[in-house]
Amino acid sequence: MQRRAFLTAGLGAITATALPGTSLGEDVIKLRDLYARDGSASDLALSREGQRITVDGFMAPPLQAESQFFVLTRIPMAVCPFCETEADWPADILAVYTKRIVDVVPFNRRIQSRGVLELGPYRDPDTGFLSMVRLNDAVYS
Amino acid sequence: MKFRSLSIALLAATVATPALSQSISQTDNEWFQAGQARIQTELAKQANTNTAKNVILMIADGNGVGTNYATRLFMGQQEGGYGDDYVLPYETFPHLALSKVYNVNAQTPDSAGTGTAMMGGVKTKAGIIGVTADVDRGDCSTLPGNKVTAISEILHGMGKSTGFVTTARVTHATPASTYAKTVDRNFEDDSELPANCNTQTDIASQLINAMESGLIQVAMGGGARHFVPEDEELLVGGTGRRTDGENLIDTATDLGAYHAYDNASFADAPTDGTPLLGLFESSHMMYSADRFDEPSIADMAEAAVKSLSNDEDGFFLQVESGRVDHANHAGNLARVVRDGEAFAEAVERVVNMVDLSETLVIVTADHEHAIAFNGYCGRGSDILGLCMGIDGNGVEHTDEPNLGSDGKPYTVAGYLNGPGSVLIEQEDGSYSGSRPEVTEAQATDVDYIQQALVPRSSETHAGPDVAIYANGPWSHLIDGTMEQNVIFHVMNHAVNPY
Repeated sequence: MQRRAFLTAGLGAITATALPGTSLGEDVIKLRDLYARDGSASDLALSREGQRITVDGFMAPPLQAESQFFVLTRIPMAVCPFCETEADWPADILAVYTKRIVDVVPFNRRIQSRGVLELGPYRDPDTGFLSMVRLNDAVYS
Repeated sequence: MKFRSLSIALLAATVATPALSQSISQTDNEWFQAGQARIQTELAKQANTNTAKNVILMIADGNGVGTNYATRLFMGQQEGGYGDDYVLPYETFPHLALSKVYNVNAQTPDSAGTGTAMMGGVKTKAGIIGVTADVDRGDCSTLPGNKVTAISEILHGMGKSTGFVTTARVTHATPASTYAKTVDRNFEDDSELPANCNTQTDIASQLINAMESGLIQVAMGGGARHFVPEDEELLVGGTGRRTDGENLIDTATDLGAYHAYDNASFADAPTDGTPLLGLFESSHMMYSADRFDEPSIADMAEAAVKSLSNDEDGFFLQVESGRVDHANHAGNLARVVRDGEAFAEAVERVVNMVDLSETLVIVTADHEHAIAFNGYCGRGSDILGLCMGIDGNGVEHTDEPNLGSDGKPYTVAGYLNGPGSVLIEQEDGSYSGSRPEVTEAQATDVDYIQQALVPRSSETHAGPDVAIYANGPWSHLIDGTMEQNVIFHVMNHAVNPY
C-alpha cells in the first residue's frame, strides 16, 4: 500500500477517535486543503475552526528574529535572484503563532505544525503581516 | 496527437516502398513503415517564400529540450499513453533548429539578455533589455547611444499592429523586450529606478508610452502593482508600488485602452482593435495548476490574434509562457508541465486561427533549466513519478521502482540544484543529509519538489541549447545550430525578403 493510501485509509478512524492533545503526526492536513479554489477558507477549514489541528508544510524564512511567529508554505519559498527583486508570498499560506520563540528550521525541510485553527483577517502588530488563516498556540516538529 | 496517429496519417502518402538493393525483412514493422512515411513527408517539403504578413513569436520561458521532454511525456500520459511517443502541437512544424542561448557576459543566460537577442537581433548582457552590451547593468549613464530596434518596432513602422501576452508580469524581462529599453530589468516601476537616472523611465511607464504611441496595441499578463501608486488598492488585490503618485492604468484608459482584470472583464474585452491592457494579478499570473478567475494563456493569445487581425497590413505578436520558468525555479515539475501543457494549447489555438501561407510562427524557449533525467526507466514511468524498471518480456514498465545504491527509489526527473536539495542546513551552518524515501504517490503530488543536489533557494537556469520550431513563410531559414539572435533576422527577412 502506498503511503497516501495508508494515510487516507486511516484518516476516518483517527478523526473519529481523535482527542484533544493528539500527538504530532496524526490527522495531518495539507496546507492547500485549508483553502478553496477561489482563495477563501475551505469547507474543511470552516469545519475545523477553533479546533487544534496539524498542518503539513514548510517554514518560510522568519520575518523577525526571536519571534513567536512564522509563515507556513505549501512548497519551499524560492526566490530567483536573476528574476525577482523580492519573494512574492503565495496566496495560500498559514500564519503560525507559536507557544515559544521560533527555532528556525531550514526553508526546505518539511515540518508539521499543530495549533488552534483561527480564520479571518488579522494583521500582526509587530510585522504588519496580514493573515487570513492562522494556527495559534502552536508547536511544530 | 499520438505518434501512431501521425504515422498513419502520413502512411497514406507512402504508396510504394522504394526499391531496395537487398531484401529487408522488417518492412511490415510499424516503425519501419512510419520511418518510410516520414521520409515521404520530408521529400514533399517545399520552402514557403511568401512575404510574411504576420509574425508570431511564442516563447515558453525556461522550456529547454529537457523541460519540453517532460511536458511531452506528461501530456501523452494524461491521454493514457506512455508519453514518449506523444507529439506536441509545435513538434509537427516542418522546420527546427537548435538555439545557442548564452548572453555576452553569461554562459548561463537570463531572460533579459535572451529576450533582447530574439527581439533585437543582437546578443547582449544578462539583466538588460533592448540595449547593447555596451551598457553596464544598472548604470543609466551608459544608456544613450546603445538602444537596439526591436522587431516589434520594425513591424510597427511597416504599418502592422503589435502586441504581446504573457503569464508573467507585463513588465517582466521577456514581454518587456517588445517595447522597453532599460539598463536593468528590475526597473519595473519608478520605486526601483535610481533617483539620479535621467536617461530612461521605468518599464511600466515605457509600456504605457508604447500604448500611447501605438507601438503596443495588446498587452496582457500580470504585474498590476507596477502601474498603481503605493497607497492605492488594486482591483486584483494588494496595493500598488509606484511612488510618483501616477496611476498608469487610468492613464491608459484615458487614452482609450480597455482594462481587463478578471475573467468577466476579459470576456467583455473588445477585439475590434481597441487597445487592450490586461492586468490580472498584482505580480505574475497564477500557475496553470492553480488558475482561478483569470484567462489561460491560450485565451489571451486568441484574444490578441483577434484584436491584431483587424489590421489589414498584418501584425506582430509575442506570446510568453512565463511560469514554466518559475515552476522550474521552485523545483516543482508538476507545475512546470501543467504550464507547459497550457503553452502547447496556446500554440495549437493560435496556429488554428492563422493562415500559415502568410503567417510565420516561431515557437522556442529563451533558456533551459538545471533539470536532469534518470535512467533506466521502463516505458510508461510517470514523468513526475518514480523510475520503474524495464520489462524485458513486454513493453510497459515492471511497476517496480529502480533503486539507487542507497537502496532507495528515485524519480524520473530531478534537478542539479534548488530547494529540493538533499543537503539540508544544520544548526552549525554546515550542510549534510541523505536522499529521503519517496513513494509514487508523494512524487506525483502537485506540490512535490524534485530531489536536487546543490542547495539553493531557487533552482537555476542552465546553458544548453533550446529548440526553435518554425512554420510559415521563410521558416526553412530556421535550420541547424544557430545563435539565438538569428531568430530576429529570420523574422525580419520573412517580412522584408530580398
